[in-house]
Amino acid sequence: MFDLIKELVNVYGPSGHESAVADKVEELLSGKVDSFRTDALGNLICEKKGTNPKGKRVMLSAHMDHIGFVVVAVEKEGFLRVMPVGGINLAVSKTRHITFGNGIQGVLVQQPVREGENPVMKHMFVDIGAQDEAEALSMVSLGDTAVYSNDCFRLGKHRVAAPAMDDRVACALLVAVIQELGECENTVIAVFSAQEEVGCRGAKTAAFSTEPDMGIALDVTSHGDTPENKLPAVKLGEGAAVKIMDQGSISHPGLVKALLAAGQRAGVKTQREVLPFGGTDAMAMQQTKGGMPVGTVSIPCRYVHSACEVIDLRDVEGAKALVLEYLRSLV
Amino acid sequence: MDFLSYLQEAGAKRGPSGHEDEISAWLAERFRPLCDQVDIDPMFNVIAVKKATKTGKKPVPRVLLCAHQDEIALMVSDILPDGTLRMGQVGGVDPRILPASTVTVHGTGKPGEMNKLTGIIGAMPPHLLDEAERKQNYKREDLFVDLGLPVEKVRSLVNIGDLITLHGEAVELLNRRAAGKTMDDRACVGILLDIAERMQGMAHEADLYFACTSQEEVGSRGARAAAYTVDPHMAVVLDVSHAPIPQSKPDSTIPLDAPAASYGPFVQHRLLDRLKATAARHGVKLNTEHAEGATHTDADNVQIAREGVPCVLLSLPLKYMHTTVELLDMNAMAECGRLIAHFLAELTQGWEDELWN
Amino acid sequence: MELKTLCELKGISGREEPVRRAVYAACAEKLGKDSVSIDKMGNVIATKPGRDPSCPHVMLSAHMDEVGLMVISATEEGLLKVRSIGGIDPRVLVSKRVRVGYDEPVCQGKPDKKSIPGVIGAMAIHQQSPEDRKNVLPIEQLYVDIGAKDQAEASALAPAGTPVTFDTPYRDFGEGLALSKALDDRVGVYNLLRLLDGDFAGKTSFVFTCQEEVGCRGAIGAAFRLMPDIGIALEGTTANDAGDIQTTQQICRVGGGVAVSFMDNASLAQPELFRGMLALAQEKGISHQVKMSVSGGNEGGFIQRTGSGVKTCVLSVPCRYIHSPASVCALGDVQAQYLLAKAFLEDARLLSQLANKEGQR
Repeated sequence: MFDLIKELVNVYGPSGHESAVADKVEELLSGKVDSFRTDALGNLICEKKGTNPKGKRVMLSAHMDHIGFVVVAVEKEGFLRVMPVGGINLAVSKTRHITFGNGIQGVLVQQPVREGENPVMKHMFVDIGAQDEAEALSMVSLGDTAVYSNDCFRLGKHRVAAPAMDDRVACALLVAVIQELGECENTVIAVFSAQEEVGCRGAKTAAFSTEPDMGIALDVTSHGDTPENKLPAVKLGEGAAVKIMDQGSISHPGLVKALLAAGQRAGVKTQREVLPFGGTDAMAMQQTKGGMPVGTVSIPCRYVHSACEVIDLRDVEGAKALVLEYLRSLV
Repeated sequence: MDFLSYLQEAGAKRGPSGHEDEISAWLAERFRPLCDQVDIDPMFNVIAVKKATKTGKKPVPRVLLCAHQDEIALMVSDILPDGTLRMGQVGGVDPRILPASTVTVHGTGKPGEMNKLTGIIGAMPPHLLDEAERKQNYKREDLFVDLGLPVEKVRSLVNIGDLITLHGEAVELLNRRAAGKTMDDRACVGILLDIAERMQGMAHEADLYFACTSQEEVGSRGARAAAYTVDPHMAVVLDVSHAPIPQSKPDSTIPLDAPAASYGPFVQHRLLDRLKATAARHGVKLNTEHAEGATHTDADNVQIAREGVPCVLLSLPLKYMHTTVELLDMNAMAECGRLIAHFLAELTQGWEDELWN
Repeated sequence: MELKTLCELKGISGREEPVRRAVYAACAEKLGKDSVSIDKMGNVIATKPGRDPSCPHVMLSAHMDEVGLMVISATEEGLLKVRSIGGIDPRVLVSKRVRVGYDEPVCQGKPDKKSIPGVIGAMAIHQQSPEDRKNVLPIEQLYVDIGAKDQAEASALAPAGTPVTFDTPYRDFGEGLALSKALDDRVGVYNLLRLLDGDFAGKTSFVFTCQEEVGCRGAIGAAFRLMPDIGIALEGTTANDAGDIQTTQQICRVGGGVAVSFMDNASLAQPELFRGMLALAQEKGISHQVKMSVSGGNEGGFIQRTGSGVKTCVLSVPCRYIHSPASVCALGDVQAQYLLAKAFLEDARLLSQLANKEGQR
């Protein structure tokens, strides 16, 4: 699982520019599904037909995009002005190494650096080593995007840190689920969604075009197991979390029950998650057309939306067993 | 319609947003004798259809009438080492009403059964707070639910994610006024039932879709789906609005004794004119209420369903919203029902021709 | 139709009738009544079938509505209390002239009505305390004075719900500029009407939308009905280029050409479409600029997420002092928006490229 996660977290893909991730996923799932399709939003939609014509159509969604920056202006001295794409935390972005889609490297800075000062986007700029505006514009264009540079490493025995863990860990989970699923009565629509970080935009159109009977988002969730943070009651290493609700969606109670039961049958630990903020692709799926039951299986993750998002591999394995059991037993 | 007993019964049914299984099943049975078809959709919306009694025109127009059935509630977000419960919220609960409230915790710990446990919401006593702290309201994070049970017992009965509902049976006050929990918006669902009853004796050329919507309190999620399913030509949305109390700001309330119609960009103004004319014809007192942008009701999502839906929005005035003593005037409920019934009966051929000129 | 005529029409969000009538008549005159319709939101939709069915269906949108005020009641003294419709900074309202109500033509037997002139007054500077001078007057403390002598007269002439629009006549301004209310988005409406004359290969829908200023509500329904492959919003957008503003804070420049957006708060432009637009403008020598900000939001986002998804891009005319009684734009930029939209619709190669990028992999 570590190798798969590493392979996926290292691919470039901020919101709106997910095509490299889609290419990688397609390569990994080649021969494992019946069809691949992309749409106007940039979603990769993979359909694996069920053997039972009366089987359900289940949409599983993991988003490919992650948060980043977009170039909005270039200063005469060759520095770039950028703005966030998605929920960037400026406090953890100061003096960060960032990488553009074309491979150009940069450092995101705020100067002058004063002790205790909160960074403000309009006072931040990116140094790409250009001497002046013309050189800078020969390296990047207005509208180009950048992300925190790759840095995936193991942390202790079971844990892994990387930027883009949100939500490539779930992309890896979904890839692993499809790779191992084999013959299944139900049709599985694996959606590697685009533009989640800017408002679950991709999942909305994907759910509309695929018309599933139900939707399950695979995403990371916040943690409550560090010294200064007690809510939500979700801990790393305690298993996949089945979401009861967050700000964006209230999971269907029946689906919550079924997912928890699947976890129990699979013999893996699960947690129940009540998150007072946030939202996943489930919110977009739930309100598509006439509405559908939705749920979210979450991978507990520390320091979400930082350049060091930490997950526990055992939770990912547990989530895989849970989802596989759910898909195989659903009738 | 006997609104008081309806309000008492409806208020006792469990239906926090996203968990409307109990209330929706009960409401579906109330609509069944009055309608031709009743369904509960995957979002727990109850959609009851009463077909047109005469079909002057093909295709028969569909009118969506909606009011939301869900209620605000609390949810177990953690079980503390001593067996008390931390709370999350489902919808916007005013934390000021919580201290010392009696609640029901709907425990799911024992498989297959829903344990209704009585709890009390506790907080640090005022004696232990300093003066500055006492001046602050409690935040939800400072409060906990005490079940009076040892932690092992609590853990066996209660799970994270279990629902916590508030108590507050409807009580009749002077002058046909009533107070209780969940008047927002079960009172308006009651008006839908009243309309359905009235329509038994009235001819109408449109198919009427009564929708008791889900998840309004968390952003009109049910109504969005219901409106998509029904694909109406027009909608009448019912919700509660604020009646004045001494501290109310100017221009922010509507009088308690009569329904009010909203005006503003989210409401189709010619339909509103039509509604006002109906009210004048039948002697229904109808106030108006401004909505310069979002109405914060189901109308916001219904208006943009599919190709768009011309809407009118009627509000039932209510005092003390989102508490357990929401107060209303049952005469206003009856008048609202009477107004809409006439509006529907008078919706004859060509009504849509006048909308956009 | 002239830009001046369009700008001087009244039509706040939800009450677009005067603009709708004019736009409908213009479309019907050019394409015939059968090609024009008014949908369930009050949008005007004109469609040209195109010659080549393999070309993607393009929806162009421009919104008919403008920001303005709405009467909610009258005070005892006969002043009108109002609320803003759409995003208006209350600081621009004091001491401005408005028209209360619309100039309704005879319809359905109703008598002719005329809009009433009014002014937005405030306490004289002599009577303000130092504190008053600092504080922004909120909309609750701004009143429209039509000269009524009491509440009864005011309410009879301007009942609750009456629309109020800025009373700023259109005029040519400076060098090659225009000064008017409602440039956002009558410039788009103006260009969309001109585009009706074009001969395009693909099916093209021209959508004059309602209620953009209160959340792009008209475009949502229109896009759902049309389910286009590509959506292009013709907008007016904020230019912050006057005075000593740093270039990086200017967003876009009046006179700098049509502004092409890579991202705003409502959508990320489809990358191929965005790049294609820039290349096309370059190739055809159309004056253009990249909008230098992630700000605002418009119909592009709502069209994009309709149905199974639509490739979208936003082309804007930069407007100074947008959402105020008097905004300024450059006529050259208006022309550039028209030329770029036209060039795009005529570029069968780019269109088919965009169509082919989708679908089975």
